[in-house]
Amino acid sequence: MSSSHSYPHEPTGVETRKLGMWVFLSTEILFFGTLITTFMIFKGSDFPGMKLTDVYDIPFTSISSFILLMSSLTMVLAHNALEANDQEKTRVWLLATAMLGAVFLAGQIYEFTEFYHKGFELTTNIFSSSFYVLTGFHGLHVFIGVVLLLALWGIGQRQKGLTLEGGMNLEFVALYWHFVDIVWIVLFTVVYLI
Amino acid sequence: MSDNHIEHPTPKKYVQIAIVLGILTAIEIALYYTEDIVGVFTDPLLIFLAVGKFIIVVGWFMHLRYENKTINRFFVGGMILALILFTIVMVERASANYF
Repeated sequence: MSSSHSYPHEPTGVETRKLGMWVFLSTEILFFGTLITTFMIFKGSDFPGMKLTDVYDIPFTSISSFILLMSSLTMVLAHNALEANDQEKTRVWLLATAMLGAVFLAGQIYEFTEFYHKGFELTTNIFSSSFYVLTGFHGLHVFIGVVLLLALWGIGQRQKGLTLEGGMNLEFVALYWHFVDIVWIVLFTVVYLI
Repeated sequence: MSDNHIEHPTPKKYVQIAIVLGILTAIEIALYYTEDIVGVFTDPLLIFLAVGKFIIVVGWFMHLRYENKTINRFFVGGMILALILFTIVMVERASANYF
């Protein structure tokens, strides 16, 4: 079972590192907000070259979205297991999250490759550039997340196990991973469905 | 170190939340393919579903609903700033096209 903590000795009442993580995520919202705004400026305009709507593979992207969504479940289960001090389950769920993230990344690489074969390239038009920058930066965030997850898994294997205090904290990696998921929730709707 | 204990959901509850997220995603995909039937309501419904999924992940998986007000303010503040930016650019864009 888990609990939230208050930190009366901290001026803000919140653990400083945790507050820092949330401030970082807040800046990330602005980062992706800017990229989404740029994408929306060009979406729907007529440009020379193939349009993204002509090359979409919605069933494929839907499966990728579902995989990333479920990786948030495995992540929160890893966090839950660590709070119960179940090291074995924590490692299993961490590895499952990393694998689901890797599958999503593989899907994105496949999708980009297909788009390129269909003529929708980075330099096809300004809309295609905004698409690749937006989804590419999200993919980069997923990649960083997978590396962090595997690092945590490795630390858990090598040492006596993970803890929620000090060092590379599972809670912060979990926050980052869920953030990557919520960004994709927005991107899936804005970029692919609308 | 820890004074205020607030119980987080159980693993079973997390699985139930994930099922809800999966169902919402399925509805989104169904809406995409039934745009001809749903018509002008498609986009607002898709946005509504995305916002719902966003709130569920942030509130339950990221535990924001159990967190300190300071953390909530920072996250919501970032959201508001991003929405202001988006609104300003879209209004400017619309007015530029109009004139």
